[in-house]
Amino acid sequence: MTDVLSGLEAGFAVALLPLNLALVMGGCFVGTLIGALPGIGPINGVAILLPIAYGLGLPPESALILLAGIYYGAEYGGRISSILLNVPGDAGAVMTTLDGNPMAKRGEAGRALSLSAVASFCGGTAAVILMTLFGPLLASFAVKFNPSNYVALMVFAFASLASLVGKNPIKTLLGAVIGLMLATIGIDANTGVARYDFGVPDLLAGIDFLVVVIGLFGMAELIHLVEQQVTGKFTILPIGKSFVSMADLMATKWTILRSSLIGFFIGVLPGTGASVASAVAYGTEKRLASDGDTFGTGNPKGLAAPEAANNAAAGGAMVPMLTLGIPGSGTTAILLGALLLFNVTPGPMMFQTRPEIAWGLIASMYIGNVALLVINLPLVGLFARMLTIPQRYLIPLIAVLAFIGVYSVVGNPFDLFMIIGLGIFGWVLRKLHFSLAPIILGFVLGGLFEDNLRRALSISGGDWSILVADANSLVLYTLALLVVAVPLVLSRRKRMALDTEA
Amino acid sequence: MADRIFSGLLLLVSIGYGVMAFTVIKAPFQYDPLGPESWPRILSVVSALCCLGLLARPDTERLDLTGKTSTRLVVLLVLLAAYAALFEPLGFVIATLLFCAVLARILGATMGHAMIFGVATGILGFGVGAMILELNLPAGPLRALM
Repeated sequence: MTDVLSGLEAGFAVALLPLNLALVMGGCFVGTLIGALPGIGPINGVAILLPIAYGLGLPPESALILLAGIYYGAEYGGRISSILLNVPGDAGAVMTTLDGNPMAKRGEAGRALSLSAVASFCGGTAAVILMTLFGPLLASFAVKFNPSNYVALMVFAFASLASLVGKNPIKTLLGAVIGLMLATIGIDANTGVARYDFGVPDLLAGIDFLVVVIGLFGMAELIHLVEQQVTGKFTILPIGKSFVSMADLMATKWTILRSSLIGFFIGVLPGTGASVASAVAYGTEKRLASDGDTFGTGNPKGLAAPEAANNAAAGGAMVPMLTLGIPGSGTTAILLGALLLFNVTPGPMMFQTRPEIAWGLIASMYIGNVALLVINLPLVGLFARMLTIPQRYLIPLIAVLAFIGVYSVVGNPFDLFMIIGLGIFGWVLRKLHFSLAPIILGFVLGGLFEDNLRRALSISGGDWSILVADANSLVLYTLALLVVAVPLVLSRRKRMALDTEA
Repeated sequence: MADRIFSGLLLLVSIGYGVMAFTVIKAPFQYDPLGPESWPRILSVVSALCCLGLLARPDTERLDLTGKTSTRLVVLLVLLAAYAALFEPLGFVIATLLFCAVLARILGATMGHAMIFGVATGILGFGVGAMILELNLPAGPLRALM
């Protein structure tokens, strides 16, 4: 406990430096703006702005504070387009439209926006508090992990990814493998052998992480937006003068608390982020509420639940990233890649070796959540104006930002073509209902997975049984089996129940 | 059908990837039990199995593209490629000006608005990006003016 307090103290010393304070505020503000743009979610926002943040020449902790601010700021801002436009920015905001938009249609947009701002704040803050308590604990446990434990952890991460993300587990797994395969391009660090470079010198160092992120997320999003561009205008509902009342908060307090906890723990599971969390929280609340049948028609509880959960999940997803070096969601995979760009390897040692990064980030998230609540309540009208930016200007701007980002960091025109190619690839995958997060997770974790496997077998002299030789690994493999088996059993039971009813 | 074509193509890629892993990649000498070829071998097998699974049980039938949308997408890709090709030779300001004006016009802006938008993005983008944030952007022929 004293460790936690002294860590927090050190963290606040970092987060309260004027530069970092300005970055967390700026990140939250920009994040909310991006989140409010219809169709652009946190992952695309962070992807497009990552190289620019990198190009600014900030120290790693400041860059991470900025990017994380953009991340949860966008998670926060996503509710605005969901409520006023009925257009979710990403999968995590879909649930918010279910009750948020009907409330706005009834003329209670102001109430819906302010209630969801408070719910988001509670979810985000609960996640940071839990992260402060459990993060160091998990890190001190993971310090003792050996390479074969890491292999098991990775298997667990991909197993939970395959079973919980997307509709088709094969597609999710294939996506992760595509990411892992992309990561093998370039020189093998252990032996210096070039792999899959096809004699192209630009590929010798591997495909740059920024290029993959901008291509798969930024450019694919751009193509998607052009495809979807509708000439007819969206109807933006007016905000009006209604505001959240004390009675609303009292009625939703348990919903918010439960959903925050659900969101956090689902966020911690590797690979599963806000979209799963908000769906589970919404479903749970719908079942628990006495007025569950009014969910979907503008029930405040149905609005508060997914908003608290997706913000809590954003915080929860940071826990495995900081403590294990295994990102908990697609967006944290990008943050992890950003840290690697700075030659900082996140993992259990980070709380000891780079406390300014780990604790600085955590402390900045306390500040960021308060800042978000403060800027969101009065300025919601300003953010709502983002909705009126016509797509015909927004789309070229995204391309310009992506080009500035890639060129300014990598400085190689070859990569501009590379992002276009990866953008087409990502767009095709989206059309085929692949989710892109597993690819980026695979790409980021590829090196780590391979290294640990090779190291484990070097230790055992080539004996594969080392992978299942100790208790930690066995527990992780059991968890991996459970996470795959439980949803299968549940859905089978559900189908059986439906069959007997019919 | 779309899934089948995609997984078929990806299966070919996996096989090619696997063949390279099993034949071409080799460390000149190594002490560790797993060399640079082992991991790609595992991946090629897993990915080939996934592709086979998808071939057997596809779930996306069509891409749902109308002719009009496909034309727009092709135009977008040509514009992006042109932007990428001209980025260094023309410099950021002129390339961005052209790209933004043309794309905004295609997406429905009036001629005048598209021009204003292009000029503003080119100049403001360079001003903020290269001068205030000190990012590395190509100046192109405008270097002489600065």
